[in-house]
Amino acid sequence: MEIILIPIIAALVTAGLGKRSNVWISTLLSLIPLAVLYTYFTRFGVDTGWKTIFDLPWISENIRFTLGFDGLTGMLLLLTNLMVPVIVMAGIRDDENRVKLTALTLFMQGALNGVFMAQDGLMFYIFWELALIPIYFITLTMSGENAFKITLRFFLYTFIGSLAMLASLLYLFLHTADYSFSFEALRAVELSRIESIWVGAGILLAFAVKIPLLPFHSWQADTYTHSPAAGSMLLSGIMLKMGLYGLLRWYLPLAPESIEFFQPWIIGLSVAGVLYGALIAIRQKDMKRLIAFSSLSHVALIAAGIFTLTAEGLEGGVLQMFVHGVNVIGLFLVVELIEKSTGTRLLCELGGLAKSNRSFMIFFMLLALGTVAVPFTNGFPGEFMLLKAVYMYNPNMALLAGLTIIFCAVYIFRMVQFSMFGEGKHEVSSLKWNEYVAFGILSVAVLLIGFVPQLFVDVVHSSILQIVTWISEAKGVLS
Amino acid sequence: MIALFITFFAAVVILFLGLNKKESSFSNLAVVALLASSICSFCNAKGLCNFAILESWVPANMMLFGYSEHMFASLLAFISAAIVFAFRKNDNLGTDQLGLIMFSLCGAFMMISYQHIVMLFLGIEVLSIPLYVLAGSKKESLASNEASLKYFLMGAFSTGIFLLGTAFIYGGTGSLELEMMGIKPSFMHAMEGMPIPTLINAGLILMSVGLLFKVAAAPFHFWAPDVYEGSPNRTTVFMATIVKITAFVAFNKLLSTFGGIHNTWSGWLCVLGMITIVWGNLAGLVQNGVKRTLAFSSIAHAGYLVMFLWYYGFAYAMASVLVFLISHQSATDKNPVGFDMFNGLSKRSPWVAFALVVGVLSMAGIPISAGFDAKFYLFSFAWQSSPWLVGVGLLGSAISIGYYFKFIKHAFLVKVEGDERAVEYNDKGLMILIAALLLLAGAMPWVLLKWVF
Repeated sequence: MEIILIPIIAALVTAGLGKRSNVWISTLLSLIPLAVLYTYFTRFGVDTGWKTIFDLPWISENIRFTLGFDGLTGMLLLLTNLMVPVIVMAGIRDDENRVKLTALTLFMQGALNGVFMAQDGLMFYIFWELALIPIYFITLTMSGENAFKITLRFFLYTFIGSLAMLASLLYLFLHTADYSFSFEALRAVELSRIESIWVGAGILLAFAVKIPLLPFHSWQADTYTHSPAAGSMLLSGIMLKMGLYGLLRWYLPLAPESIEFFQPWIIGLSVAGVLYGALIAIRQKDMKRLIAFSSLSHVALIAAGIFTLTAEGLEGGVLQMFVHGVNVIGLFLVVELIEKSTGTRLLCELGGLAKSNRSFMIFFMLLALGTVAVPFTNGFPGEFMLLKAVYMYNPNMALLAGLTIIFCAVYIFRMVQFSMFGEGKHEVSSLKWNEYVAFGILSVAVLLIGFVPQLFVDVVHSSILQIVTWISEAKGVLS
Repeated sequence: MIALFITFFAAVVILFLGLNKKESSFSNLAVVALLASSICSFCNAKGLCNFAILESWVPANMMLFGYSEHMFASLLAFISAAIVFAFRKNDNLGTDQLGLIMFSLCGAFMMISYQHIVMLFLGIEVLSIPLYVLAGSKKESLASNEASLKYFLMGAFSTGIFLLGTAFIYGGTGSLELEMMGIKPSFMHAMEGMPIPTLINAGLILMSVGLLFKVAAAPFHFWAPDVYEGSPNRTTVFMATIVKITAFVAFNKLLSTFGGIHNTWSGWLCVLGMITIVWGNLAGLVQNGVKRTLAFSSIAHAGYLVMFLWYYGFAYAMASVLVFLISHQSATDKNPVGFDMFNGLSKRSPWVAFALVVGVLSMAGIPISAGFDAKFYLFSFAWQSSPWLVGVGLLGSAISIGYYFKFIKHAFLVKVEGDERAVEYNDKGLMILIAALLLLAGAMPWVLLKWVF
């Protein structure tokens, strides 16, 4: 509970302080939940299933305010509460919108923590929507004439998806024995195949929009490109993980009878998305747009891995969720700093930035290598596990998806080359303390996961085994 | 019953004492009286106090205040108090208008507690006639006169149709008392194979038309946008909230009287509800005027109200009062109707902008506002009667985002140069209070529900 309340209170404090607050205060406020998270890890551990750690009746005795904790939740909470301080520290410009963006980001932190901890279907939905409100207002601060159109499209896409999920959850709720929204009760509902496909479709739609999977992605590039940096970082780094987390935590256990129906579709669409995103990214001029499409490509691979339903695919997926969050936030931070000092993020106008700022180039290079999945950086183990899982499902699919490694190297190194090397008239100003700290956190994450991925995989191991067991049980019942 | 008495006497007192005086000096009295009605009804419902003498004055086969009637009376009186208080600074209006609003509310009380169709008819008339006057109370405004005339003509016709239906029902059942009316058709329904007399069906159709007209449910909604736009703001809110909720309570009571055949009817009602939701939302999407948009939004909400609930009425009414109040105070001479009145609101007055966002999000049904919980209850009940209704309801919610977010767009996105559009907001405190109420009711719905049920 604390981990949800503290950021929300911090947001109110920031809004109340107004211009008197500064980066120091906001950073400290955003770091408190990390300390709380540490106590969660030590108190509850990650080996004993999804434990309820907070429980109060909410609407009725059976619709409760229930929060749970296990390795999977812990992993996502770690991502959120490690990355939000990075965003607050370095991702928000010091202009008239700083206070507003900081307060909204902190509020968002609370809502995201709620999404990852909710153990009650209605709670999950409410936090899911609650996270949408601050991000909508963050993206609304974008400049440009199409701001309203872009943000409305983004909101409508996600909102329609959410409503479909609400309908599915309601259907399950009305079929529980005691009108309960608790995860266990929803899971216990026996569905026929047709029912399960409809319920699954509703839930999947919400997640597919958020991830985003191929035909539901058209909100993404514009929103990422035009949002203020904090918005792009939150959306791509953390919020998108809500969809993947939802697949693991809610879709797979709740509607296992429908998995077999959707599996080929989702994997097919994902692999198509992997290639589509990568190919488009190669041709982008705008650095932010390039990262947006690269993110589309990377995340689709995670979705494909998850839908192979093997322990390896799921674990690789969770690891890669974390890794992608770190990398994409790092890359957006790089672009933000370049844009802040040069006023442009078009590759054709940049060049030679490496000369002006060596340390910046090192950080950028590290994040780029992580994104390309070079061995001993964080991208490698996760991508390897995912591709292996896809290969076990269908070697041809893995062949196609594997092309992304080549494409990714092409567009990322193209971005590095055109912006950092060669001749150019721009310079990057030297880094401030907060930017050093932010890059420091990101670099440690890149190297640590690259060298000891097992440390992170172990955290989620027992949660993933549980989910895999549920799926195979459901399969056993069906066949 | 107690609510009816307090409201009626307060209305008489205000009307006579306030003759030829400015309204603002008496609105406080009105608010106190309305709150007193609300609290007394609430206590009466909970059995904390008893006004049995009053009850004995009216025969129980004409009007009866049971638990749910008291609860609804309390809700209606509370919403009216909020409306009168929110729009209390109408300095150029006479006191007679306050009296008319309260008389209209008396009609609403009769409509929710009737046991006899004659009482229902009287209630409709007592509710409507003051509204015809109120709709036209901006005498110099052409739109207001138009609204009044339209409302009056359409209202008169619909009342005629309602009366014809009553006559058919009397012919079919031999009584106008609710208890007696229901016996014959229920009996026939129980004996399978016996047809329901055509007279009863025809009578029910005609009576439904009359009531659905008051609700402005499609396809009887054509008068609503013009009337809502032309009437003074306070009257519009009153019509959009009190009249709708009342007519639905009365309707629900009428239909449930007819026991068995109720089910056939609720099927058709669902269809009407779906049409209303879709039509109201789609038409709202293309409006440019704030009040016209809200008028279509309220048509759509009538569709949701078809799947009726107390909580929904509360959430919808509170959000309406809030948004209407803000748009009332935002309107300037230069920009009386368009969305431009909200331009730059977030810079000019962040708190009002916040309240506006809460009101609009609550109408759209987004957590953690009261509107979400209302929709949640609604859908979980509606699902049992028809999954299609839920589907259309969800679709409607999605469409409505299109126009609700226009408010946010103008308040947060559109920049204004200079401060020529500076508008004084008198009731910031009240706006924040209602917004906080919506959020609290949304975050902790059980508090409210524990009181009510």
